[in-house]
Amino acid sequence: MHVKPLVKNLLRFTNSSQIYLLGALLIAFLFAFLASISLGSFNFSVFELFNSSKTSLHTTVLYEIRIPRVILAAFVGASLGLSGASLQGLFRNPLADPGLIGVSAGAALGASIIIVLGSSLFPGFIFGAFILPIAAICGAALVISLLYVFTRGFGYQGITYMLLVGIAVNAFASVGIGILTYISTDSELRGLTFWTMGSFGGASWYLILPAIVVISLSMFWMIPSSRKLDLLQLGEPEAYRLGVDVKKLKYKVIISSAITVGVSVSLSGMIGFVGLVVPHLVRLLGGVNHSYLLPGSALLGAGLMMSADLLSRILVQPAELPVGLITSAIGAPFFLWLIFRIRKI
Amino acid sequence: MRLYFLVVSFFSGLVLSDCFESIDSSRTVIAGGSLTEITYFLEKEDKLIAVDITSNYPEETKNLASIGYVRALSTEGLLSLSPTLIIGEDDMGPPLVIDQLGVTGVDVRIVPEEQTVEGILGKIRCLSSILGVSKSSQDQKISLLNKDVNKLSLLVAKNLKSPKRVMLILNMQGTSPIVAGQGTSGDSFIKMTGSENVASSFEGWKPVNSEAIISYDPDYIVITERGMGSFADIESLANDPSLKFTSAAKNKNILTEDGMAMLGFGVRTITAALKFSEIFSKE
Repeated sequence: MHVKPLVKNLLRFTNSSQIYLLGALLIAFLFAFLASISLGSFNFSVFELFNSSKTSLHTTVLYEIRIPRVILAAFVGASLGLSGASLQGLFRNPLADPGLIGVSAGAALGASIIIVLGSSLFPGFIFGAFILPIAAICGAALVISLLYVFTRGFGYQGITYMLLVGIAVNAFASVGIGILTYISTDSELRGLTFWTMGSFGGASWYLILPAIVVISLSMFWMIPSSRKLDLLQLGEPEAYRLGVDVKKLKYKVIISSAITVGVSVSLSGMIGFVGLVVPHLVRLLGGVNHSYLLPGSALLGAGLMMSADLLSRILVQPAELPVGLITSAIGAPFFLWLIFRIRKI
Repeated sequence: MRLYFLVVSFFSGLVLSDCFESIDSSRTVIAGGSLTEITYFLEKEDKLIAVDITSNYPEETKNLASIGYVRALSTEGLLSLSPTLIIGEDDMGPPLVIDQLGVTGVDVRIVPEEQTVEGILGKIRCLSSILGVSKSSQDQKISLLNKDVNKLSLLVAKNLKSPKRVMLILNMQGTSPIVAGQGTSGDSFIKMTGSENVASSFEGWKPVNSEAIISYDPDYIVITERGMGSFADIESLANDPSLKFTSAAKNKNILTEDGMAMLGFGVRTITAALKFSEIFSKE
């Protein structure tokens, strides 16, 4: 139902070179997808598998392990890129990042509680593999409701107020994680440490399908607001006078980013810098209008995340490097450069 | 001549190590789960006043004061217990705290660890000497273990002829399974049962991706009880996509055991190794 306005928006407020750029990003995305499903520590030719109909260990590896993992990486990358771009637009601040409003920290706290206290809180719990994502989503939801209460429905106070609340929530969540780190055993500590560095290792169809549905829905809900985000760049009062319901826009962007980021963090752990860096790359490539920026960030986020996950799987195989290390290793220098550039202006 | 004397005293220092009787062991603090376990085995627990948080066996350790985590001890906290003797392993730290304790005149001992059956017996002997257990009762205690040790060495000899391929998982929640690589206590434990560790190409505890686990295709998977986390039972664990396609999961060859019993290298590790090598010796 949202597809029509999406396409209309895309064509109306996007110039032709941007359309080509989006096409190029799509091709890069497909290329990253193909590379990701054909490479891995299990060596076999994917194209031979598609041609033969017999099932073997290779088909199992491909369909049950590699493809769900690659798809999860793509969706998490897309949701981080997209929510980074829309939050930067909403806060009119180039340094905004999905982590900033505290949602990832809330999700991390929820997950850490399960990793450290899980076995004593829920002995033989029936939800099994679902319990950790569920706890992470509860943590994220708690943060969103806190934000909602403190900002009286995302209205009244200026956007800076929300950033400050986010910082406080972040600090609070890191205390919680710190306490859990202190009381954890060696084995739980390892689990916790690796989890906070991100991994797509736990991906399986039954875990990722609900996530795919939720992330896609909230993406289609957010992308049509791109024109309103453009107008918001003039300033909140100006956008209001041009007919943008600013309060509703805030509500929409924050809720949908919180949902997508919460779901992503719950399944993959903390993955830094993608939400911050990807929108900047897309802006550098082709412009700042959100009808191009939002889909572009989603595509590039997905492509980069699949590539980062591919590196994480093959660099030190058979072990794997936490994917958050790879994204941060790329993101941190870029972030420094960004700060340096802003200072010069 | 003086140089010769220095060299001799240096090496004799190495040989003597820390395993000699302490002048006063009436108020002993232990940092290390296996050492605590051995102290109870030697029935010298009346000398204990405090232990670290890895000392969770036997149950009675709960009644003792806790000095916190073995790698993050606090000088003041320890001294407030007015201990006469502090015993730990290599992992006891931080180094600054250990130095400060030495300066205050408390007897600090580091018990050497070698992760083999002989190593465990050596640890028992060393601790007996420190705590002043008489030679005869030390021999009597060790003879209690002889039956298990002999049985284990027979089974190991048998298992080594066609070693089973084993993978040991520490934890598998929210990330890829964290597997024992070379040089870990898990690797030593697998070798103690006369089996082969499938994870031979990397060092340390590392998350291993599902595809690699399938290509390892272990005969047996061993996981720590706490590492099972929210998996209700072995059945649901065997259905986890990262393990599902291995021979071990298909043949229901997934085993669990208390982490400290396997990886602590105390008395219980001999029992656990015996239990597993019996299972691995079956066809």
